[in-house]
Amino acid sequence: MAYEGVPGLVETREALGETTLVVDPARLVEAATHLRDEEGFTFLADISPTDYLGWGQHGVAGYIGTPGGRDINQPGSQGFAKRPDPKPKRFSVSYHLLALEVRPRRVRLQVWVDDGEPVPSVVSIWPTADWHEREAWDMMGIRIEGHPNLRRILMDDDWEGHPLRKDYPIGGEPVRFSEEEA
Amino acid sequence: MSIVERRHVVYEGSRIPSPIPTVLQPNPDEVPVDDLMRINFGPNHPSTHGVLRLIVDLNGEQVVGISAVIGYLHTGFEKTMEQKTWWKAITYSPRIDYLSFQNNELVFVLATEKLLELEIPRKATWMRMCLAELNRIHSHLVWLGTGALELGAISLFWYAFRERDLVLDLFELVTGYRMHTRYFQVGGLAEEIPPGFYAEAWKFVERMPKAVDEYEAILTDNTIWRERTEGIGLLSADDAIALGQSGPMLRASGVDWDIRRNEPYLAYDQVDFDVPVYPEGDVFARYKVHMDEMRQSVRIVAQCLERLEGMQGEPWIADDRKVVLPPREELHTSMESLIHHFKIVTEGFRVPEGEVYQAIESPRGESGCYLVSDGGQKPWRVKFRAPSFAALEATATCMRDAAVADMIAIAASLDPVMGDVDR
Amino acid sequence: MAVDKSIDPKRVSKRPLAQAGLKSERLLWPTKGPGKFEQEIENLEEAIGLTTLQKAIAWAQTNSTWPATFGLACCAIEMMSIVSSRYDIARFGMERFSSSPRQADLMIVSGRVSHKMSAPLRQIYDQMLEPKWVIAMGACASSAGMFNNYAVLQGVDKIVPVDVYVPGCPPRPEALMEGIVRLHEAVNAGVPPAYRLRGVGE
Repeated sequence: MAYEGVPGLVETREALGETTLVVDPARLVEAATHLRDEEGFTFLADISPTDYLGWGQHGVAGYIGTPGGRDINQPGSQGFAKRPDPKPKRFSVSYHLLALEVRPRRVRLQVWVDDGEPVPSVVSIWPTADWHEREAWDMMGIRIEGHPNLRRILMDDDWEGHPLRKDYPIGGEPVRFSEEEA
Repeated sequence: MSIVERRHVVYEGSRIPSPIPTVLQPNPDEVPVDDLMRINFGPNHPSTHGVLRLIVDLNGEQVVGISAVIGYLHTGFEKTMEQKTWWKAITYSPRIDYLSFQNNELVFVLATEKLLELEIPRKATWMRMCLAELNRIHSHLVWLGTGALELGAISLFWYAFRERDLVLDLFELVTGYRMHTRYFQVGGLAEEIPPGFYAEAWKFVERMPKAVDEYEAILTDNTIWRERTEGIGLLSADDAIALGQSGPMLRASGVDWDIRRNEPYLAYDQVDFDVPVYPEGDVFARYKVHMDEMRQSVRIVAQCLERLEGMQGEPWIADDRKVVLPPREELHTSMESLIHHFKIVTEGFRVPEGEVYQAIESPRGESGCYLVSDGGQKPWRVKFRAPSFAALEATATCMRDAAVADMIAIAASLDPVMGDVDR
Repeated sequence: MAVDKSIDPKRVSKRPLAQAGLKSERLLWPTKGPGKFEQEIENLEEAIGLTTLQKAIAWAQTNSTWPATFGLACCAIEMMSIVSSRYDIARFGMERFSSSPRQADLMIVSGRVSHKMSAPLRQIYDQMLEPKWVIAMGACASSAGMFNNYAVLQGVDKIVPVDVYVPGCPPRPEALMEGIVRLHEAVNAGVPPAYRLRGVGE
């Protein structure tokens, strides 16, 4: 499915039956309005921020679980797997949209931002984005510009740090297996 | 045919509060803002929906301001699942929406299989469908029991939980465990369907419609129930779509949308079932949708059982040894099987790089799983789209013109499961 | 107190708790030897040596322990199912789940406790009047279960003193009943509530 008229479109990717439209963050609101009004994507299912810090640092070798076997590599690699391609920026925010029609269509609107770069809010377009964007701020630290109520939602109000970032430790405590351990 | 029903208008325009869509603020023109009572309907409260906190502004009995505070059950599922291999991460997923546990497992496993581009044997597909529908019945029974309990129809709790125990007996028969069954595996089912399941399941299928008749006989024409639920918690179709509602909330507002029928997954395009849609948009319509869905689920289970009985002896898990453990007998004779088993158990199988979003129709609505894989043994990012999260965003809109007593009915009808909301 | 005459005397154990009138299922299994718990309880009973009045008070306390509604997550659903007719908890006098902590005796912490929830949990515990008991139901309440991470309190005994830990994820309703019955037997034997044992509170 090609969506050429989307303002700010940087790239279109098709994989596994899904279409991803990568858009410039500065023109996100225009793109979102276009998708909602012209293309009919009235339903925002989900906003998923993802942190790609450390992407591709570990080489991926060995068993690859595809039906095609291990042949996913470039020629001359002798069957050894490749590292995943580096991503343009640290964070991606994916908006999963759905057109509620008899033949429904789904599309993923994606923007890439760096740490500290704000993303405009789409609350005025899809009111359901309210809590999703608050969660993106709380969990990933992605500042949403223009959000009426950007506060922590899942963590405590005075929590420090953004837990889902890759540089935030998993926390918890070491497991004690016997009385002798500390 | 249009998805949105336009014949019945619940209300004109939009009742979504602004500027913040999820916070209803008192209107200074209508109420004396300085004379309101602010009540904290705290995280621990008699209503059995878990740890939801509502901060309510009351003008006498009228609710004029409301905002929901969540996060009291935040467990860090998504970060924890990033630390575990793909196999172990499946164990975490049912505990997210703990009433429809197998649906959570299903969405995670389906998303992983989509990334792997794995083909599932049809026996596994049909059994998954059967268990998912039984889980839907379970979830609606708990909703009905607790919802009726909160509104005062206390005895219904015991009736609903009587049938719920039958469903859990079936789960125990198949998987060995009542809740959080962990029966779905990447590639199919974890084990063969045990003998004796079909006989018990048929008994349940015969018993259930009569039980639903009983509940409807108690509630549907009951004056008190009607007065407490009709006209309460109105949500129009456009507002529901704008607020990201799905599932029974959406269907009770007149939108004919069901992922099982419109975007079929598993084998839903091969079974016959109706999708109940009611246009009134109030709590009573949601109640009717839930009851009808229980009946339709029983129909689907009956069809699944018929098909499954003809599939005895077929494989229940895919054959791809890079992902699925080989059968134990082979380990004695085949070196490759031994190596596969060893690699899968110690290292974990690897899922190719990519991102995928899989949505299913859980009892609460659209439950989705966004997975990003970097080609390694652990998921890079797991995000669950929680239908209850979106449902709670509609609290402010639904609770306009509500009295304190209606607040309970509306919160019950939104069907939030706090594990799903807070993840 | 004599043993209930309706039970065949040959089928009832001769041990002190049975003679005291406890009707635990294990008493009706004559070939079962005492388990470790029962041995300890009997030793304690002899050591503590309750007076008749104290025994009567303990009997009254255990026969109508009112649990506080503290269902947090999945374990709460199994806690609800012990109220249902199959695993009837009304036979122990506990069907009256008290929403007001001031009228509750027992707090069954069922489900994972996040750090945000730990403050309300402690507040509810403080609002309960002595004597009060706590059952940590499930793996998450006992020790955070499978959630060794930033968000979950690693075991509810970090903030409240716990009397009985019931393992399981979620524990079957029968398992929770076993935990409740053991609590009753311990109270009847004279074991003080956990806050006194651990020297906190009061």
